[in-house]
Amino acid sequence: MPNSTRYDAIVIGAGHNGLTTACYLAKAGLRVLVVEKNDWVGGAAVSRELYDGWTYSNCSYVCSLLRPEVVRDLDLPRHGLQVIPYEGGATFTPDGDYFAHYADHDTLRREIARHSKRDVDAYERYSKLVLRQCRFIRPLLLRTPPDPASLHPRDLQELLYLIRRFHDLGEREMGETLRFWTLSVGEFLEEHFESELIRASLAGSGIIGTGLGVYSPGTAYVLLHHYMGEVDGSIGSWGFARGGMGSISNALASALKDAGGEIRVGSGIDRFLIKNGIVTGVVLDNGDEFEAPLVASNMDVKRTFLRHVDASELPDAFVTAVKRFKIRGSSAKLNVALDGFPEFPAAPADAPFLKGDLHCSVSLAELERAYDDWKEGRWSADPYFDMLIPTRMDPTMAPPGKHMMTMFIQYAPYDLEVDGVRAPENWENARERFANTVIDKVERICPGIRDLILHKEVRSPWDLEREVGLTEGNIFQGELTFDQLLFNRPVPGYAQYRSPIKGLYLVGSSAHPGGGVMAAPGANAAREILRDVKLLSRHARWSRAA
Amino acid sequence: MRGGHGRRENQTMKASSAKNSYDAIVVGAGHNGLTAAATLAKRGKRVLVLERSQSIGGMAKTSEIAPGVRGPRMAHLLYNLSPLVSSELDLEAHGLRIVARDLPTVSLSPDGRHVVIAGAEARYCDGGAHPDAETFSSLWQRMIRFSALIAPIFARTPPRLAGGGMSRQNLFEGAQLAKLGLDLRRMGKSEMREFLRVVFSNVSDLFLDEIPDGPLAGAMAADAVLGAWAGPKSPGTVLMLMYRLAQGGAKQLPAGGMGAVTDALANAARARGAEIRTGVGVDSVLIDGERVGGVAFGRNESAEAPLVFSSLDTMSTLKLVGAEHFDIEACRRIQNIRAKGTAAKINFALSAVPKFHGLDDTLLRARLLVAPSVNYIERAFNPAKYGELPSEPMIEAVIPSLSDPSLCDDDAHVMSAIVQFAPYDLKGGWSSAARERLAKISLALLEQYAPGIADLVTATEVLSPADIERETGARGGHWHHAEMAVDQMIMLRPTNGMGRYASGVPGLYFCGASAHPGGDVTGAAGRNAALQSIRDGGAL
Repeated sequence: MPNSTRYDAIVIGAGHNGLTTACYLAKAGLRVLVVEKNDWVGGAAVSRELYDGWTYSNCSYVCSLLRPEVVRDLDLPRHGLQVIPYEGGATFTPDGDYFAHYADHDTLRREIARHSKRDVDAYERYSKLVLRQCRFIRPLLLRTPPDPASLHPRDLQELLYLIRRFHDLGEREMGETLRFWTLSVGEFLEEHFESELIRASLAGSGIIGTGLGVYSPGTAYVLLHHYMGEVDGSIGSWGFARGGMGSISNALASALKDAGGEIRVGSGIDRFLIKNGIVTGVVLDNGDEFEAPLVASNMDVKRTFLRHVDASELPDAFVTAVKRFKIRGSSAKLNVALDGFPEFPAAPADAPFLKGDLHCSVSLAELERAYDDWKEGRWSADPYFDMLIPTRMDPTMAPPGKHMMTMFIQYAPYDLEVDGVRAPENWENARERFANTVIDKVERICPGIRDLILHKEVRSPWDLEREVGLTEGNIFQGELTFDQLLFNRPVPGYAQYRSPIKGLYLVGSSAHPGGGVMAAPGANAAREILRDVKLLSRHARWSRAA
Repeated sequence: MRGGHGRRENQTMKASSAKNSYDAIVVGAGHNGLTAAATLAKRGKRVLVLERSQSIGGMAKTSEIAPGVRGPRMAHLLYNLSPLVSSELDLEAHGLRIVARDLPTVSLSPDGRHVVIAGAEARYCDGGAHPDAETFSSLWQRMIRFSALIAPIFARTPPRLAGGGMSRQNLFEGAQLAKLGLDLRRMGKSEMREFLRVVFSNVSDLFLDEIPDGPLAGAMAADAVLGAWAGPKSPGTVLMLMYRLAQGGAKQLPAGGMGAVTDALANAARARGAEIRTGVGVDSVLIDGERVGGVAFGRNESAEAPLVFSSLDTMSTLKLVGAEHFDIEACRRIQNIRAKGTAAKINFALSAVPKFHGLDDTLLRARLLVAPSVNYIERAFNPAKYGELPSEPMIEAVIPSLSDPSLCDDDAHVMSAIVQFAPYDLKGGWSSAARERLAKISLALLEQYAPGIADLVTATEVLSPADIERETGARGGHWHHAEMAVDQMIMLRPTNGMGRYASGVPGLYFCGASAHPGGDVTGAAGRNAALQSIRDGGAL
């Protein structure tokens, strides 16, 4: 490889969005370099062997939202991506019962009826409604938001497109859509279902990764965020990436190399090189310097502009807006190596639903109290967790007969309160206690699981920040509330991937449409970059206009 | 509660005499019902208003707490009265007099450094400058500007999302929306962007992004969540605040208490020939063929009218008519309307003027807030979600007798307090023990700021949300009849499909707080419903 320091484009951060942007740019013929601070690629979509023989998807753990258009455009299956839909999932109750999810429609209906006959029809109505909303939203994911304050033809056109699309729903559906976007997930579910257990089972998707509670308006929209994906054309389903989430990033990296791009791991960025408001390159932590007229940052908006750009280079109003951007961490992860498959006494032997996401939060009040704890700077005394044992479907992630368990927990604050002081460093001496809170709760549904634990990794929001680079450990690179969505994301006036610095772009989840392993921000940003350098292919222009 | 047996037989119309025949009947003589009646009467309609209780007023009443001590029974400050209602019905001429035009707010602080807010100026009660005064001033003025921008939406029938054709009303509404868009742009790019950023946001972030938490931020946040099932961190609270500030936010005291507002409205209605009967509870709305025909009340009595306006909450209205006259979808939506009251009202009869630390006589007349920080308010809200009482509630109090000596005899005074968050669905129910507990908690809190006040109390009246429901019929005892959440506002209020006052049953209109724009003493719902029925030309 030539030891050049000049590129057409440099991407900061080899997260899945950065890699996606890099791939599109490379395919358009640009010489692209991706720099990554860690020794591995992937950001929060990684598979790491943290314990001999075990592969952890130690941040994101399931796949659904990855845009099929991106998968197709970059030919990811050829580069090793294989997503297996998972079926099942259940919420266990304290008295030894459960509510399980089945892929087979009739089995699911019977299961719902077991808890509430009335809710069988409710579930049909609910599914139809959510699906309608998914269909409405999905095309918007791969479109650049308009700037409502601008009179530029492209913005007016896009605004008109959005208005027309909304208007085409018809009066009744428009009202329903407005309601759906402004309701809380708890109240939305209360309108449909009478069974508290079913409500609680479905509500988790409305709060995962958020600093909001099930009764906070706007969380029904978050539920949508978790439903609008698909696996193998099956909308709303989730899957495991074979080999862990890292296989997504590895597939992207492979596609990038195929297109002639380069990746350098082991050193992150120190600062952007800016002259007269134009980016000219970057300087890395290890002192290496690279030049490029185009620089794309996969880091979140705060990290990008508050850590690596001098405030004097940015408009004051922009800096204020970025400082104000809400990126509060609320999630933790517990990744566990198990000596064997745990016992679930409540479940029938070999229950198929054990392959899916498992929970034991049984009421909306329980979930809301978990949120109340977080507001005070404490982790939830009675947390919500989303637990999966992917080795049930993908045995390659652990030695034979052994298992890997991933647990996603709400809520855990970034700035943990200890003795009246709120600081992320408080996590240093609190991880074990936190893990115990969680495992105590797991023991309720898997008695004896403690004895199976060979190794565990606790990732507090602070750990996520330090390792992955996610500010305050927020998994979406910013809260998903309306004040920070669409033309407000990340800040009003800069919602089109461009920044006040010419040539410097934001391509991660801080940009539209937000977080989840979607690759949408990365793809959208690439399109805008190519448009700016007049390399936007006709094909890409058409597919956006669709 | 309503719809007693015999309703089915009463539902078919009987031949009736002309004297029992009206152009419109209004159910409920609260301020919205009276506004609807006066608005219709002004346009030459023969109107009958029927009120179940012995007195008019609904939630805007003046009543006797103890001998010689009168006070505002429920609502206690006037800040959102529709200027259109006020001028069109000439309320001043009909007896409405304001004794205090722009009450300052005192946000009480546990450390004694209370913050005094007058308009957009903030200072300490000892006159000292407040470090965040400048930031507060520009922030508050921006909120007032934003509120003024959307106030026209609250003042009129909500625009339709689609359809409607080329009628005059639709063109007018289209023009209104276009004007809103233009006004928005005319604010300039950065203001426009800020509006679009904050309109659906929460007041905790809105204020704490700019000033540190404390009594000043607490006071602003309190304004957003008074009367709401929400805490400052809940998204949607900025819109609630904008609603409350629609008329600029100045808080007024009417002479004679809040009952003076409804009295003036009743006078305006009667002056134009409307008939108001109290002590008459409507049992059912009668259906004549496809549309309403009148109402039934008392013992086999009835009155005819092709238009019936209900100022009751939506569910109560549904029960009066009978669910069978609404389609299943509408019934389901009405069932799902969220209306869980969180505001309790406590009126204290006092034997003398209380002494508050740090407040002189002038400041004692102010609106007194116990909302020492945004986080305090959020903590006061949390238990309500589980049907529990807060150990430290948020309180909005005022001693109107200091500004209006007509309310109390001799040296007595009345302190009116709105206490939040007192959940309607309190675990264990609102027994007298529960009411006493709330009164005790509230008085203990006030005692911290006004030592000795407990000894001045000669009588206490506690109205829990359950009591408010019993007295006014408002579902959940909710002051807005239905939560002012974004999904239950504007064209979605009371439900999607019923946002323009017409209920779907021809001739039956919603004219109370459960309709657009919502509650507070505004008169807007009543006025709009009346005008909309005229525009609909009886076709609906």
